[in-house]
Amino acid sequence: MLKIAAEELKIIAQYIHEISGISLDQSKSYLFETRLGSIAEELGCTSYRALYDKARRDPAKKIERQIIDAISTNETLFFRDTSPFELLKHKIFPDIIDARAPRSPHTKSNIRIWSSASSTGQELYSIAMTLDELLGAQIKNFNFQLLGTDISDNVVKQASYGKYNKFEIERGLSRQTLQKYFTLFGDSWKVKDQLRGMVNFRKFNLMHPFTGLGKFDIIFCRNVAIYFTLEDRKKLFNKIADSLADDGYLIIGSTESLTGICSRFVPKRHLRAIFYQKK
Amino acid sequence: MNNLTILVVDDDPVIRRLLEQRLAKENYSVLLANDGSEAEKILKGSHIDVVLTDLMMPGTISGMEVIDMAKNLNRNIEVILITAHSSIDTAVEAMKKGAVDYLEKPINFTELFLRLEKIATMRAILRSAEDLRQAMDVTETNASGTIQHLELTVRDLQQKIDTIESILRDDATDSDSRIGEALNILLN
Ligand SMILES: C[S@@+](CC[C@H](N)C(=O)[O-])C[C@H]1O[C@@H](n2cnc3c(N)ncnc32)[C@H](O)[C@@H]1O
Repeated sequence: MLKIAAEELKIIAQYIHEISGISLDQSKSYLFETRLGSIAEELGCTSYRALYDKARRDPAKKIERQIIDAISTNETLFFRDTSPFELLKHKIFPDIIDARAPRSPHTKSNIRIWSSASSTGQELYSIAMTLDELLGAQIKNFNFQLLGTDISDNVVKQASYGKYNKFEIERGLSRQTLQKYFTLFGDSWKVKDQLRGMVNFRKFNLMHPFTGLGKFDIIFCRNVAIYFTLEDRKKLFNKIADSLADDGYLIIGSTESLTGICSRFVPKRHLRAIFYQKK
Repeated sequence: MNNLTILVVDDDPVIRRLLEQRLAKENYSVLLANDGSEAEKILKGSHIDVVLTDLMMPGTISGMEVIDMAKNLNRNIEVILITAHSSIDTAVEAMKKGAVDYLEKPINFTELFLRLEKIATMRAILRSAEDLRQAMDVTETNASGTIQHLELTVRDLQQKIDTIESILRDDATDSDSRIGEALNILLN
């Protein structure tokens, strides 16, 4: 494996931060080597400096995308942590549906949900399944928009395709849920059209301005800010506050906290879960 | 090191004996069955990691059926099929049923050991991934409890501070009663 030199470490770490917001620990050089070594070798680079120069000079930004795919941690699973989905079912969905109930039978209210670092899609599909289980046919009385975004092309592609191997399926899905929402596809499972039709995925970098995204009623921002610096986290949650409806809900990762990061939110507890609302 | 338990299913006693000796020499634990129904009994009664089965055997249970049987009992059992003269069709059918590999007779032991080692490595990796996940899960559950508690405590303290501040700033009341009220909230 290609070794990284101290001065290269600095340049590469800065570059990764610039393109993705991800702040890597420079004392862990193995992290850079295991994740970027094979890209460098594939491109015929004999040093990380050469890789950096090549990435900078690449007008199509293909190398930049490869680096982001390699550096991002896409670890996720269906119904991760369970409690946020219980919270959706018992508190958030009933409350939102009440608050957005159409005033006349001819109108439909929009209810917009955003999985803001959706990785391979398990989080958004879990939200969609929870919604479908709860509402059944009543789902048609509302105009639900479920959006998943991620910075990594690869994971957005997989999420859109909705195909999962048996290891991904085994994590978090019951037999019953699997049968209901997935069909066997060779050695893997594919999301059924009905569920696939409820969601949309696209590429989006959380470091960029949130223009054109609109307001959301529910935002999931889990296990992504942990990779950012304190400064970037502050900016991120400030932008999230701007894009959340006044009575909207924010869910963050089970080991994350907004203390000292964004005072525009207050934590609230329901059952065993915590969610945030704007002050 | 080789802690896999292997079940050899073959009707030929010479081959059974040969496989047993060679595998034992490599430190694998070996169990023997001379046909499908004996294999079934052993599979149901003991923990097996890998089944090495002949394709053609007398009796009612064929090698193909041994694959189904093993896989139905435990999806984690790996099956390697041994065939006298392999055809692509048989191999494909065996793979579809979940066999990981097939070998032709006469058995090339170097090849067999390589495949077993691959299975052992794969299992060790899966096991360590599972261990890591569980360790992470325990850490996360603990941390999340602590963080929830801190998050709510900070919120409550902040609310207290805000109330106290507005009481203390309230010019309409005399300072003694403001201090009294503020102390009351602090001590509550
Ligand atoms: C650990 S996954 C979290 C997935 C899911 N939210 C969960 O909690 O299971 C983190 C994801 O954040 C994405 N990510 C990292 N930096 C990002 C950025 N600047 N903008 C958008 N997504 C980003 C990564 O590509 C990765 O898929």
